[in-house]
Amino acid sequence: MKKLAALLLALVATPAAAQVQGVMLDAPVELPDFGFTNELGEEFTDKDLEDQWTIVMFGFLSCPDVCPFTLGNLEAAISETGLRVRPDNVPNVVFISVDPERDAAFVSEYAKFFHPEFESFTGDREQIDTLIEATDSFYRLLKPDHTGHYEVQHSSSVSVIAPDGTLRAKLQPPFDPGATAEFLARLQITYRKELSN
Amino acid sequence: MRMALALLLVPATGLVADITVDKPIIPLAPPGAMVHAAYMTISNTDDVVKQLVGVSAEGYAMAHMHKTEVKGDVATMLAVDVLEIAPGQSVVFESGGLHLMLMHPEAPARVGDTVALTLEFSDGSTDAVSAKVVKMIHGGHGSQGDHGS
Repeated sequence: MKKLAALLLALVATPAAAQVQGVMLDAPVELPDFGFTNELGEEFTDKDLEDQWTIVMFGFLSCPDVCPFTLGNLEAAISETGLRVRPDNVPNVVFISVDPERDAAFVSEYAKFFHPEFESFTGDREQIDTLIEATDSFYRLLKPDHTGHYEVQHSSSVSVIAPDGTLRAKLQPPFDPGATAEFLARLQITYRKELSN
Repeated sequence: MRMALALLLVPATGLVADITVDKPIIPLAPPGAMVHAAYMTISNTDDVVKQLVGVSAEGYAMAHMHKTEVKGDVATMLAVDVLEIAPGQSVVFESGGLHLMLMHPEAPARVGDTVALTLEFSDGSTDAVSAKVVKMIHGGHGSQGDHGS
């Protein structure tokens, strides 16, 4: 009883841990072939998903609030994850701009700003739409204002892809680093159990 | 001499609002970002409602008030034309909520720079704010600017 009370107290005392940081999918989702590039000529294709965990985030560079917040917190979450999983199981974080018209010329620099190993790419509209649809994500370019500036609506969650190339989970804001790392570690245990069955 | 003194006492921005601004910061923008945000807490110390109707930023082509709204899984930025601040009320501009959107910098801001912002109110008063460019530290409880993330 004492133990239970202590547990309940711990839950009350750490509201961040009680927040939902991720959702595991009921069944893995196969992803189609895709290809993205950046201005350095680097590529990100479905082949890059093999044998490593990958987190894919969609966004755009003219995004003052949500995208920097998400990438900044993912950086902290990935550092935390590094304390919980083997180095080769630390996810690779990939940012895909859904706004190639404005971003293609310097997209590679964006994600690196948050972590030297984060990568960013963009691509043809068709490729963007393919991966958006396959990961059950969303974006929409809004109508430009009188200055030509336009906003972009996009998913606030990010996709977690397993080393077999299938979509396994979604991470959700606020991306609390400790809780997100905990979620990713649990996801990897579930995945390994499934493989060994 | 008396005239010079009188001039010194007249603020350059005209009417000064009964407003206090705490912790105005600008997170360092990623390379290539033509749009980034400023955050702060604005408090109305007057006994009447204040309406924040605009903002300008030195060294930027445009600045707007914006609000991030996450509905379901979709994040949208909404322009805020008028922000009412009740007497004694503090409004927090922070990640995931209200922010000042600074657009098209003349030059990329660097850590330690300050950006002169002017808050414009419906009664014609203004408030000059000096916002510091800081490198955000995520995941903990703030940045160098002590801004909760």
